[in-house]
Amino acid sequence: MSCEYGEKLILYLYGEADAGLKAGVEAHLPGCAACRGELEALRLAGGRLAAFSAEPRPSVLAAVMSAARNARRGAFSFGWREALLSGALASVLGGVFAFTSPAGKELAWNSGLDANLDSVEYSVYQEQTDLSASAGDWDYRYSELEDDAAAVSENA
Amino acid sequence: MELTDAELAAAFKAGDPEALGLLMERHKAALYGYLLRLTGRQDAAEDVFQEVFLKLVKNPGAYGEKEKFKAWLFTVARNAAMDQFRRRAARGEVALEGPDGQAGPADFLASAEPGPEQAFYGKDLGRRIDAALASLSEDQREVFYLRHYSELSFKEIAEALKVPIGTVLARMSRAAARLREKLEKEMQ
Repeated sequence: MSCEYGEKLILYLYGEADAGLKAGVEAHLPGCAACRGELEALRLAGGRLAAFSAEPRPSVLAAVMSAARNARRGAFSFGWREALLSGALASVLGGVFAFTSPAGKELAWNSGLDANLDSVEYSVYQEQTDLSASAGDWDYRYSELEDDAAAVSENA
Repeated sequence: MELTDAELAAAFKAGDPEALGLLMERHKAALYGYLLRLTGRQDAAEDVFQEVFLKLVKNPGAYGEKEKFKAWLFTVARNAAMDQFRRRAARGEVALEGPDGQAGPADFLASAEPGPEQAFYGKDLGRRIDAALASLSEDQREVFYLRHYSELSFKEIAEALKVPIGTVLARMSRAAARLREKLEKEMQ
């Protein structure tokens, strides 16, 4: 049967008791076999957990790191291309907004800006398609490598 | 000087993937040990371990830096393990750490490299302790494992589990009483 010191005992064992509580538990322990037993049982169980030091296989860590590095590379590549294309698009749109007067509209119409806009839009679309295909290739290659790794560990 | 967890997490967010490697290296033994105990299976523990860190890869902002990194890590791991457990249960798979302690994680752990402490405990005593741990309720076991592996304070554990600290301490206290009852013979 446990006494009312149960939770105080837990704080004491795990170093979370203040000085007063610690002194109280230490004074209580010599006269309470149940509390001494609980302390010992917790120490035994804690020692059992500490007795093993298992770690995930290196392939698990490698897969996470590979994903982290790929994500970083992907973010950089995408940002750079996007920035370039966005800049080009912004310049063209700026040119369009510069021709807002009737005369400007006429000028914009005759200058072939519409055709240029279409061309830029198409370039953006192409770049996005290429990026998407490239990402798909990486995913496919990654799954192939995972299969290879699984085959190697099966043979080992 | 060694970088803190928060500094490494910030470096990762800023674009340094190697910072994640250092975080993983720092916490892998404790987190994996915890997951192995929770799930009872090497493949399940590794899946959840990977899932936790990939969550950070996919969304570096998932860790908000307001809380302790270790508390975030163990909370996410615990929730992911619970999700996995529910999926396994839905598929009709049996939890390996059953109430009888018949097929606990020690079956797998026994294949790990034995350390001096393991030799000290011995196989029989070790199995009896595993059986005693398996006799704890799920709540008691969870708190005990979380405290042992994460070394978070009881207040932090209470926040992670979203329960009052009194509940955490009560679960630990009941776990202690249960372990004493089960291990009484060993302690005489």
